[in-house]
Amino acid sequence: MDQAWLIPAIPAAAFAILLIFGPYLPRKGDWLAIAAIGASFILVFPVLADLLDQADGTTYVAGEKAWEWISFDLAGVGEKFEIEIGFYVDPITIVMLAVVTLVALMVQVYSIAYMKGDSRYGWYFTVMSLFAASMLLLVLSNNLLLLYAGWEAVGFCSFLLIGFWWEKRSAAEAAKKAFITTRIGDVGLLIGIIMLWLEGPNTFNIQEIITFAEEGGYDNTYLTGAVLLMFMGALGKSGQFPLHVWLPDAMEGPTPVSALIHAATMVVAGVYLVARMLPLFEVADPIALDVVLVVGLTTVMISATMGLAATDIKRVIAYSTLNSLGLMFVALGSSAVAAAMLYLFVHGFFKALLFLGAGSVIHATKEQDMNRLGGLAAKMPITAAVFAIGTLAMIGIIPLSGFWAKDEVLVFAKEEQNIIVYLVLLSSLVITGLYMTRLFVRTFLFAPREQAAYDHAHEGGLLITVPLLILGLLATVGGFVVFDEVGEALGFPGGFAQFVFLNEAHEFEFHLDTAITSSVLAGGGAVAGWILWQNKAELAARIRDRFAPVSTLLSNRYYIDEIYQFVIDRIVLGLGSIIAWFDRVVVNDGGVDGSAKLGYFTGFEAKFLQTGRLPNYALAIVVGILVLSIAMLVTQV
Amino acid sequence: MEFVLLALIVIPLGVCPLFMLIPSQYPQLSRYLAALAGGALFALSLLVFVVYEFDGGSGLRYELQWDWMENIGFLRENGITFYLGVDGIGAPLVLLNGVVIFAAVFVSWNIANRTKDFFVLLFLLVAGVYGVFISQDLFFFFFWYEVAVLPMYLLIAVWGASSEFGTFTRTKEYGAMKLTLMLVGSSVLIWVAIFALFVEAGAGTFDMTVLREATLDEDFQKWVFPLFMVGFGVLAGMWPLHTWSPDGHVAAPTGVSMLHAGVLMKLGAFGILRIGMTLLPEGAEFWAPVLMALGVTGAVYGSVSALAQTDLKYMVGYSSVSHMGFVLMGLASMNEIGVNGAVLQMFAHGVMTALMFTSVGALYDQAHIRDMTQFGGIAKRMPRHSAFFAIAGLSSLGLPGLAGFVAEFHIFVGVFEAGYWWAGGLGILSAAITATYILRMLSRAYFGPLNEKWAGLKEMRIGEQFAAVILIAMILFMGLWPAPFIDRISETVEMIPGIMG
Repeated sequence: MDQAWLIPAIPAAAFAILLIFGPYLPRKGDWLAIAAIGASFILVFPVLADLLDQADGTTYVAGEKAWEWISFDLAGVGEKFEIEIGFYVDPITIVMLAVVTLVALMVQVYSIAYMKGDSRYGWYFTVMSLFAASMLLLVLSNNLLLLYAGWEAVGFCSFLLIGFWWEKRSAAEAAKKAFITTRIGDVGLLIGIIMLWLEGPNTFNIQEIITFAEEGGYDNTYLTGAVLLMFMGALGKSGQFPLHVWLPDAMEGPTPVSALIHAATMVVAGVYLVARMLPLFEVADPIALDVVLVVGLTTVMISATMGLAATDIKRVIAYSTLNSLGLMFVALGSSAVAAAMLYLFVHGFFKALLFLGAGSVIHATKEQDMNRLGGLAAKMPITAAVFAIGTLAMIGIIPLSGFWAKDEVLVFAKEEQNIIVYLVLLSSLVITGLYMTRLFVRTFLFAPREQAAYDHAHEGGLLITVPLLILGLLATVGGFVVFDEVGEALGFPGGFAQFVFLNEAHEFEFHLDTAITSSVLAGGGAVAGWILWQNKAELAARIRDRFAPVSTLLSNRYYIDEIYQFVIDRIVLGLGSIIAWFDRVVVNDGGVDGSAKLGYFTGFEAKFLQTGRLPNYALAIVVGILVLSIAMLVTQV
Repeated sequence: MEFVLLALIVIPLGVCPLFMLIPSQYPQLSRYLAALAGGALFALSLLVFVVYEFDGGSGLRYELQWDWMENIGFLRENGITFYLGVDGIGAPLVLLNGVVIFAAVFVSWNIANRTKDFFVLLFLLVAGVYGVFISQDLFFFFFWYEVAVLPMYLLIAVWGASSEFGTFTRTKEYGAMKLTLMLVGSSVLIWVAIFALFVEAGAGTFDMTVLREATLDEDFQKWVFPLFMVGFGVLAGMWPLHTWSPDGHVAAPTGVSMLHAGVLMKLGAFGILRIGMTLLPEGAEFWAPVLMALGVTGAVYGSVSALAQTDLKYMVGYSSVSHMGFVLMGLASMNEIGVNGAVLQMFAHGVMTALMFTSVGALYDQAHIRDMTQFGGIAKRMPRHSAFFAIAGLSSLGLPGLAGFVAEFHIFVGVFEAGYWWAGGLGILSAAITATYILRMLSRAYFGPLNEKWAGLKEMRIGEQFAAVILIAMILFMGLWPAPFIDRISETVEMIPGIMG
């Protein structure tokens, strides 16, 4: 446990070295970044072994290590205000560490080939190191403030990477949009954190806050407000409705960056936050969990339908990420931490696989619109094969990893929630099957639509295919950890579920009826997709024409971006202009210059009252006497 | 050590006649002398900060007290003394002043018009600022306060720049005049309040350590505190008396903007804390809600105004109004966490706003315009300049690891703890608006395709880069390792009467 702090520290050190000496290092220091994240990955194992060693029968004793960062006495209270740099390891942390380090390692190796020849090659690996370090800090932090620091740093790195090719106007805008959108959510997160401290046990330590809440330390309504504000942060980071708008645009960054953002380092932070703080959601009013559930469900439905209309392959995968994240939030809303973490775990692999596979296509063909692709399977068999695995895992076909994870979510939704939730989830499976099959069929099968792109197509080198194959393997077998036997064989006493479920009595359950229903629906969706979009996709085109308004609505993403744009342009910037005008004209010209003008007026203009002519003064005296007399009479009477 | 404090005033005053002795046909000589003096001040300020250690009592250390006038007229024992000393609040601000003047000398390197006169006025101003931070005598406090304010008029009116904005014009003379009149006008309030305090305390002395012990009538405190609050508040950019600040910053030359926004505005907040809140705790408690309301209004108003600016310097100017609003919020929280945050924010805002002005100035020197919509993609031509500007912006939007976050976080916690929920929420929202205008500016001016008009831009001068690196070092120092700052500040703040835990 004592080495856990090294896991974020090594990539952070690599970042610092690359930032200063990067340009002078051989190969711009890409090897240093990769060695650092590799070392972090390896370090996860001794930390895990420590955790397992200290396992007491069926419970896991979490480890903690902390240094003082800020500390001062509070006058007259006899208490201290303390903020630590502290690290905390429990099974949830381990799952996150494994996903983050492994996916980041794969992505960085892949990037050597993908980013080759880019003018900012060294800068790319510099930021990648910081990105990984920030995410690992977020995951390992033992207190909310350090978590917030990692959280913001992750957002900042994603800003740099989404805007990596900032000479492109669209990339610069997408980077800005991602940072600002998530930052809006973070307003809530920071208020929530301060609220928990304010009425809490005078610490930011997460475990102490949870214990305090479980003992009923917080007022129930207050706690509900605090956790919902914190959830705003998760909403922004994990791209949940209504703060999802930045995620599809985030594909402006280099494709390996998208893989990292979507699979490991950015969007899952929100899921992690809610999973970590779930005991608070459970203590609070049930409405808190209901909000999580409804948000997740809404996101599942809107993202799946938007996925049907998008034609950019990266955008379709981006919608599938929203879809998956929505499912994770549905699981969390049903208090199923383990199901959510399992989904996060396998999702990391198959989503990285899908993005890196798409990257392989884009790298080879310089094309990412599926209307200009097709037939690539013949030229890029390895990419096509692993992409197929990723697609099927995302759809949830047995026995690929996605199936097992999705099944857990469904079982919980069915048992813990009302039937409508379950039915909505089932219907989303069909849509997922449809758009994922469409993606695969349109990209890899049947006749090529753009000969030039097809002619360019070729399989990438080993640096591209090996990470793809490793991720393909993990996406295939990753789900088997649900079987206790597999978990035991891997060294988790009592199985993986026991490990992730944090000592609670939930276990992974397998319900044959749920499995069959979901398989039929998802498989049906996939088959339907095949039929609709096979060959020239005439059938799909006809359906699209028949339901033209729906199709327009979907390809315009429900006009949510337009609504936000309107609010920003007209309302926020409008308010800004009004205040700026008010400041100049009313406060400055009226208040400041006005007082000067008043002085000028009284000093200069009013002097003409002093005419020097006796009749004027006499008149003034008479008028004055009259006025005063009348005033006196009136007041006397 | 007490003579180091004395040197902080003697060096900048002493170089003024030396500048005058240099013939004006050798401007380079003036520049070297300025660099030497700036370097010495930076080194001594750092020394003061590093060596300072809390030693009980009010935290005052390294005292030096020389009689000036006593037992004459209304003055009794120790009536007016030249009294220096530094405490845990003064120490980081002394460091801030040292950093900013050192950086400002390098930024002002290319001033060709009346070079030595410029440096004479600049160092006179700096002497005044040091004097305010380390004076423990109310009379001299006010004296140095005026010394710091007045050179600004000439610095802006002679070396400044006028601007045309389509519908209106802002001449440098206007900016200089407005700034001076508002600041001098407000110091009348301070002067009146100082005399009221002197008379009411009845000790016949301006010694602040003695005045601190005096028991003052509560009603008296209630009517005198607002004089200090408004009087100093004007210099702190308190809404709605802030308009001198954006106009003044826009008109001033870069080095002067740096000192002005970076250090001079801190004098106002420092005055509210050191005089108002320390000597009149009950008055402060009574007026705290008003100060809080004005602070949060300034914070939100400033950030929303900055959102609408297209002129880079106006954007930075309004962001200063917004960030000084945070300082006032921290002070008004009247608890230790919030007041610590306010002092931290004074330092953080000082270095990051100085960095912002350095960057804007470097761009303006080449492009001769500051309208962000006219640029585009200039990060391609000026990568380091862009990185420096971005770091300043990120610090001001509160990115963890940089100075702004540490300060703002303390302020927000303090404000919430004091029970001003609405103010805390609006403050955090204002930080999010800050993110919006900073990123909007970066996206418009620095990113996107390079506007061919600016293909000839060159990287900022090496001296400016040096200045920026020093400022960034301070931003990182406080952002990553705030303990040295907080240790010094908190122990002194704890001793201020009326501050709660």
